[in-house]
Amino acid sequence: MSRKKDLRQTIQKSSVPLMFVLICAVCIPISGLSPSYLANEVVTRMGRNAFLILSLLIPIMAGMGLNFGMTLGAMAGEIALILVCDWQIVGIPGMVLAMILSVPVSVLLGIFCGKILNMAKGREMITSYIISYFINGIYQLVVLYLMGSVIPIKHTSIKLPRGYGIRNTVSLLSMRQKLDNLIPLKIAGIKIPVATFLVVALLCLIIVWFRRTKLGQDMRAVGQDMEVARDAGIKVERTRIISIVISTVLAGIGMIIYLQNMGNIATYSSHSQIGMFCIAALLVGGASVDKASIGNVFLGIILFHTMFIVAPKAGAVITGDSMIGEYFRVFVSYAVITVALIMYETNKRRNKNRAGKQLETEQNGEGGAS
Amino acid sequence: MKSRQWIFRLGALAVILAVAALMFVVGRGHTVYFDSKAETAGGKEVAVPYKIEVVVDGEKAAKLYEGERGMASTMGQNFKMRLDITQEKGQTKKTVNVGMKLPYSMDGIVLNLPAMLAGLPQEEYLSEFIPVPSAEELKDEEVVTDEFGDLTGGSEDAGMEGDGSE
Amino acid sequence: MTFMERLKEAVESFGLPRLIITGFLILLLIAAPIVGADLPTQISNIINRFSWNGILVLAMVPMVHSGCGLNFGLPLGIISGLLGATISIEMGFTGGLSFVMAILIATPFALIFGGLYGWLLNKIKGGEMMIATYVGFSSVSLMCMMWLLLPYHSPNMVWGMAGKGLRTTISLEGYYLEVLSKFLQINIGNLSIPTGAILFFAVLAFGIWAFLHTKTGTAMTAVGSNPTFAKAAGINVDKIRLISVIMSTWLAAIGILVYEQGFGFIQLYMAPFYMALPAVSAILIGGASVNKATIMNVIIGTILFQGIVTMTPTVMNNMIHMDMSEVIRIIASNGMILYALTRKTEGSK
Repeated sequence: MSRKKDLRQTIQKSSVPLMFVLICAVCIPISGLSPSYLANEVVTRMGRNAFLILSLLIPIMAGMGLNFGMTLGAMAGEIALILVCDWQIVGIPGMVLAMILSVPVSVLLGIFCGKILNMAKGREMITSYIISYFINGIYQLVVLYLMGSVIPIKHTSIKLPRGYGIRNTVSLLSMRQKLDNLIPLKIAGIKIPVATFLVVALLCLIIVWFRRTKLGQDMRAVGQDMEVARDAGIKVERTRIISIVISTVLAGIGMIIYLQNMGNIATYSSHSQIGMFCIAALLVGGASVDKASIGNVFLGIILFHTMFIVAPKAGAVITGDSMIGEYFRVFVSYAVITVALIMYETNKRRNKNRAGKQLETEQNGEGGAS
Repeated sequence: MKSRQWIFRLGALAVILAVAALMFVVGRGHTVYFDSKAETAGGKEVAVPYKIEVVVDGEKAAKLYEGERGMASTMGQNFKMRLDITQEKGQTKKTVNVGMKLPYSMDGIVLNLPAMLAGLPQEEYLSEFIPVPSAEELKDEEVVTDEFGDLTGGSEDAGMEGDGSE
Repeated sequence: MTFMERLKEAVESFGLPRLIITGFLILLLIAAPIVGADLPTQISNIINRFSWNGILVLAMVPMVHSGCGLNFGLPLGIISGLLGATISIEMGFTGGLSFVMAILIATPFALIFGGLYGWLLNKIKGGEMMIATYVGFSSVSLMCMMWLLLPYHSPNMVWGMAGKGLRTTISLEGYYLEVLSKFLQINIGNLSIPTGAILFFAVLAFGIWAFLHTKTGTAMTAVGSNPTFAKAAGINVDKIRLISVIMSTWLAAIGILVYEQGFGFIQLYMAPFYMALPAVSAILIGGASVNKATIMNVIIGTILFQGIVTMTPTVMNNMIHMDMSEVIRIIASNGMILYALTRKTEGSK
């Protein structure tokens, strides 16, 4: 009986990944893409996105849900890269400098975000989502009006001809795939960005270690029940802010890794969708709003991005219109997040009801005994 | 305990700042242009070899006949290159290794190779390259600040694809 | 001292961000003639845009009243409206009739979508706003595929080359372009008032106001302000919430049709994406909170929001030759939403 229930639960839990395996299994043969092309693409995207998606794990641990505010970190990373690009610091040193530079910006934005989220407990996700729009406005103010007029920008290849503001795209040719190609390796025709993977692996180790520290334990306690944690002497507000700050800083570094692979910054749009795609990928990997592991990240990237690559081609083959596939994958990204959010909320309610009923029966039992 | 923590934090900050400073020095990129022309920056005349091949970081950066220009992107101020010089057509190559310090403040640097080989002082063979903005760059650019990114833009697909795989 | 205290109290009840935005708009109105912008034209613009957007903002009211929070799922209703508009044109209706038919056709869609949406929101009480946002996004992107696949044939709507798939923007020339705005339009010099559109808004707004004073309406307010109490009083909470969501969705459908008649184009594909946030921030600027909204909030909010949207570009451009209006709009509207989300709200958890 209980085993049957367990089985049902595991199937329910892994329903999203299973669905994606199915979608991929159907779409791959239809798309007609060669396995080696597909493998190459997936490996590239793994290196490109893994760091960014890992940045989402810590707020989930602290019970703050999916951090739509990771966009803030992405913006910090972009600002740092634009400056470094103008200073003509190139290659790996340029990336390192950009990372260092992005940290104070990320920390400031993270503290801001954390403070606001503490004022909006219980609706963290929608709030962090609106924060990302709000800060996008500030970002535009800085990049479109202050850079070149207040913040010195020298090169005309970056600056708009009107004398202030940054162009729509900033070329990162001097940094392009410098990290990916630092340790060149090719296995069976598949290019593997070894150095990028090493950085990602290091971050995974740090996250595993962090979970065992005092702070990590505190975060988990806060995530389980804020009131209980507060009674246990944990500074709840502070812990929550720290979790958001860490996430923002990691997102900033992740964005720099992401952009070095892309080779250019789309100044006003690179960050806008990044949160949505990262969150969708994490959820596809089997994570939920209150539970996510490193395994979910990697499984998610493989499944989500395979879908992402094959969907337009498969859509074009089936309907004769390539736009269908484009829209399809956007739809799937949103639908996955929607379904995950619905599952999370219904589970939360069910657990609450169950707890309520349990309390009731307990009380009744006590009443009967006395 | 408290003070030790602070010392540790300050130390970490100092290390990070030091790394940042180091990156400024080692990561400074320059674009070096090689000229093979008779007239030097100071207006003197020098003899120009038939052909100069420039090798930077083991890669051939340029092959220059008289009046031609080549370029290479470099990182850091210690610039090394190998010049394979063919003085007259048909003669064997003569190899010269050149190491020099590049001025930090210049983005683009023009080296007049014949002047350098002739042993003239630096101000004769080294000058700053000031790029003239191309017509493309001067053209007014419409800034697209779409709140939701370019989802319908077809090929762009919200920056997720691009040319990441070379 | 007492004056200062009273002032402080007034500021607190009015809300600092609202005060800043009102002050900013007044400043713009004063600055406009000084920098050489024609004031009557500006005011006409504001009134015009009010008439386009009013009903979309009004669509927030029922859901806020029943405690479902701000309707970030507005795009769902907009899609019903778009279906009504395109099917009406496809069926060959023209002129004013096409507008009436669009409303009639959009209604069943709004009822069905709203019903499903309401049923879903009843399953996930407490997490409405986030899920509403993503229901909106999912439905918009699903419809992106549908606009390409549904069998539309009207040559005024489909891509000329392929002969199928709807265009991203469809002109309403010859259909219901300005049917409401031109009705009884008043023109005094540069000042023009779209009487018909404003009357249409007034009728709907009055309808909602009247509804909120019926038995069901008061029950709705009770559910919003204290669901436990409402349940104890024998009100079917889920049913009331469902009604409010259907109403919001239907209003959004009508709202987009009215918007289109003023704007002159039907915008498909990703366009509905852009629609929820301005409406949400408008009603908040008007003084609403996450669980309280009145018709007055709608009117004031829409005027303030549209006022800033229309005035800033002209005034800014004339003053400093730098168009920062877009950035100001983003910061102001999202800042307003943030402010509302961080307020402690009584009643809801």
